[in-house]
Amino acid sequence: MSLYQLQKLIYHVNRDPSHRERFRQDPAEFVKGYELTEEEKSAAVNVDVRKLYVLGVHSLLLRPFTLSHKISNEDYAKALAGLE
Amino acid sequence: MPIVFACATSHAPGMTAWPEAAPNDQAEKILGSYRKLGEMLAASKPDTLVAITVEHWANFFLNHMPPFCIGRAGHYEGPIEEWLRIPKARVPGDAKLSAELLRACLDNGFDPTFSDELLFDHATMLPLHFLNPNMAVPVVPVIINTLTPPMPTPRRCFAFGQFLGRELEGSEKRVAVIATGGLSHWPGEAKHGKINIPFDRKFLNTLVSGDRAKLTAYSHEEINLEAGSGGHEIRTWMALAGALPGWTAELLAYEPVVPWATGCALVAFHRS
Repeated sequence: MSLYQLQKLIYHVNRDPSHRERFRQDPAEFVKGYELTEEEKSAAVNVDVRKLYVLGVHSLLLRPFTLSHKISNEDYAKALAGLE
Repeated sequence: MPIVFACATSHAPGMTAWPEAAPNDQAEKILGSYRKLGEMLAASKPDTLVAITVEHWANFFLNHMPPFCIGRAGHYEGPIEEWLRIPKARVPGDAKLSAELLRACLDNGFDPTFSDELLFDHATMLPLHFLNPNMAVPVVPVIINTLTPPMPTPRRCFAFGQFLGRELEGSEKRVAVIATGGLSHWPGEAKHGKINIPFDRKFLNTLVSGDRAKLTAYSHEEINLEAGSGGHEIRTWMALAGALPGWTAELLAYEPVVPWATGCALVAFHRS
């Protein structure tokens, strides 16, 4: 569990266009720069909304991150359906 | 010169990113009020705009999260969001006023951090897009941590605003002051889209009534429960109320806009 590192990755992608571009080009390579578990790596690489949310990523990191990966409001809501 | 203009506004990103998702009458009330405030701000001919705003992980992270930060840069860049449908801009700063405010704060018992490089996200860019077209007026951002606990208390935000207001009233410049954030919303959470209309109405009534003690009596837990993680942003409104003793608040619009997932309000302040 390395939520700090996972959130830091998303913070970098959200705020810095060069990080964002590198993540988009090769997410599997990009995530190697952070100390993440395999589960966290996979959630980030696949922009897995539900998994990232359950792992504890702050909602104001997660929603901008998913918006910049073209996840619609409807799909976002669907991904979180049934969660608290 | 005294403070020449003041307003408080919500900044839901849907206002520009997906305005068409909102019912027409609600969108027109909110965006029309934003345009009206923009006209009022321009008519007040400010030299500088002080923006009491919030942090959304655009600048600070958990390695260092200041309770209060005053920007001191010559310019700022934003928005960071590609999807906001607000053109990227370089926003001029007023480093001289920033430095004066910082000096005054530190000499008088307030210890904000300062930053010579800040990025603006929708929290600051969306209000500026409507209130400061072409970014003609230089901006001094005052950021409050309303993002992640522990946050400064409502009373501390009010007191900080009181101090800033006294300083700005004594400034050589004509200053517009805006606060931005709230009201109730749960952005990006499983409860995204929930709006607590009774909470919002009560908060606005208290603001308009001028009862400053009641306005700052909210606890962190109460705001968190009743107004959501995004509701903490009402601390910026409290700071602005502190800056404007004797002013009255005029509610221009309140609309609980579900597609924007926010209780949206716009308030103009008038010197009484």
